[in-house]
Amino acid sequence: MNILQKIAVPVVAFSMLAGTSAFAENVKIGNIEPMSGPSASLGQQGKAAREMAVEEINAAGGIKSLGGMKLELIYADSESKPEKGVAEAERLINTEKVHLLTGCWNSAVTYPTTAVAERYGIPFVVPVSVADKITEQGFKTVFRIAAKDSWWTRDQFAFLKDMQAEFNTPVKKLAFVYENGDWGTGFAAQWKKLAEEGGYEVVLDEPYPSTSTDLSPVVQKIKRAKPDVLLLTSNAADAILLTNTLAEYNVQLKAIIGSGGGHADPSFMKAVGKNAAQIFDIGEWETDVNKPGAKEANEKYKAKYGQNLSGEAVDAYLAIYVIADALERAGSLEPAKILEALRATDLSSGPGMIVGYDKVAFDETGQNKHAALVIVQVNDTGNGLERITVWPKNARRAGYTPVFPMAVK
Amino acid sequence: MLYIIEDAINGILMGSIYGLAALGLTLIFGVLKVINFAHGSLLMVSMYVAYWAVTLTGLHPYIALVLVVPVMFIFGYLLQDIVIKPIFKAEKNVREPITVIIVTTGVWYILDNLTLLIFGPQYRNLEANPLRGKMLELGEMLISVPKLWGFGAAVLTTLAIHLFLQRTATGRAIRATSLDREAASLMGINAYKIYNLAFGIGTAIAGVAAVALVPFYNVFPTVGVLFDIKCFIIVVLGGLGSIGGALLGGIIIGLIESVAPQFMAATWTEAIVYGLFLLVLFVKPSGIFGVKHDW
Repeated sequence: MNILQKIAVPVVAFSMLAGTSAFAENVKIGNIEPMSGPSASLGQQGKAAREMAVEEINAAGGIKSLGGMKLELIYADSESKPEKGVAEAERLINTEKVHLLTGCWNSAVTYPTTAVAERYGIPFVVPVSVADKITEQGFKTVFRIAAKDSWWTRDQFAFLKDMQAEFNTPVKKLAFVYENGDWGTGFAAQWKKLAEEGGYEVVLDEPYPSTSTDLSPVVQKIKRAKPDVLLLTSNAADAILLTNTLAEYNVQLKAIIGSGGGHADPSFMKAVGKNAAQIFDIGEWETDVNKPGAKEANEKYKAKYGQNLSGEAVDAYLAIYVIADALERAGSLEPAKILEALRATDLSSGPGMIVGYDKVAFDETGQNKHAALVIVQVNDTGNGLERITVWPKNARRAGYTPVFPMAVK
Repeated sequence: MLYIIEDAINGILMGSIYGLAALGLTLIFGVLKVINFAHGSLLMVSMYVAYWAVTLTGLHPYIALVLVVPVMFIFGYLLQDIVIKPIFKAEKNVREPITVIIVTTGVWYILDNLTLLIFGPQYRNLEANPLRGKMLELGEMLISVPKLWGFGAAVLTTLAIHLFLQRTATGRAIRATSLDREAASLMGINAYKIYNLAFGIGTAIAGVAAVALVPFYNVFPTVGVLFDIKCFIIVVLGGLGSIGGALLGGIIIGLIESVAPQFMAATWTEAIVYGLFLLVLFVKPSGIFGVKHDW
């Protein structure tokens, strides 16, 4: 025992006796998000949602089992770059001494960054990076709230099957067009498997760089391949560019199905306008979801930040409530205690539970096994363009009939 | 075959707009001998100016040129005069002052982040403009009308800059300074004034490129970065400082991006573009039209 430890032990012991309220210490939550760069828009939403949850929790008295300790958010900008995410995780853990980490939206950033948290044994709550492999590294510190990407594709194909039956319109030829990062290629690999199982013919399998300044070559390929249904995985700038270019080249399809991300970005509909009509998109959540508190939370968020809650924002919002719930049960800031509490999570009520599914509980890999998705159609029913929940059928907005196949424009 | 012609036309049109975006960069380099890392950001600022000019007045996007070009000229002129010139003076004995490059990098970060702060990360585009989504039908071929306008703007601007440099007294002074700063000074040319002018013109050209882009492209704070890298490749390809080379380099990149994806995944075109970039550096580092003795 060196001299520092000799001093530290009684000090720590004393501080524990004195109770945490005597010391203005907060629970520090480090958040690594893309605050600038191509995904900055999504990073900002995650930040706003986290802030709203933390304000609510702190206003309601903080973490009671820790003497009313407050939550404190510390941010780091990943710029959507894996190496930045890793460096920031090191900094947050070593310099800022955070108790938990959350992030990083981009799967490519989250994947290597969770390894840093695992090395230090710091709990890492992932609201919404969907790459399967994030929870398949055998790590003990990673917990993911959102459905993983294999579940997204699983639900996209289930939706496609249901629609064919409901509208008696067979679909044979599929085209896959996706950004060439971890996220897009992960989705595409699943699509290929599901297409084979479902007996579809894949007429185009096209990765493209998200930083493309011109996507008309890709759109030309889609047009020439003549698919029935186009499945897309795009970030915001390219989703806007693709949608407009598809309309310009008058590409006729039975359906376009997005994978969230750029298609779910609030600026997407504004920037694309009527070209977005009838596009399907899969997501975590919608503002028309029928859950207690959802409408109120959305109104509060909108008044504060001028946008509707997005799936990303709701997951981030819920993540903070999951963390608060775990801290409450842990009654300690020991990483091991927090981890144990997170593992035992069984959350089905509270302000955070405004998601489409009913429960948060993690399986042995750290994946929320109850996470589920909804599919929406962008359309105008007289109130301007909006995202209307259409699938699963029992969650469909009352009185809305999906347009399938797409009308010829 | 028809497909390839259609793709080639799109490539030439889009590529000419890349060339237009790179033209300002090559002009500034030719005169100041400095790589302006803030060029993409200047393009981004121009796009916001054009976006707001059209949104607030509701005029045809190309009429915004009347506003965007002078505003960007003044912006570039003052940026050089106030921010970059002092560094130049401090390093006046160096032919290619490295610190200026660092300053332009600083300008890039400041402009991008300032825009993010003021306008937020949202993607905007001119939804209701007369060029939006317009396609020209040539038999079975579809050609984008806003890109056609952009092509026209690129060719005219390149021609205008070429004539300006060749035929006017100011143009000759700019070329003289570009060739030999010392000698030009001895002939009574105020080199710093020429620098301000060249920077102003380079930025104004970025303004023209922005006007060509906004009718069909998104405006967001980091949009400059996407074009920045392309501009550097184009400028090296065409020859650093070469006016015609920028247009040609742009068209080459545009053609690769547009035609190659028909034979392979779109991802690979980036590899081809960078491969070509390396090849040019190895084989003919002065680019297609570059002046050899400059290197």
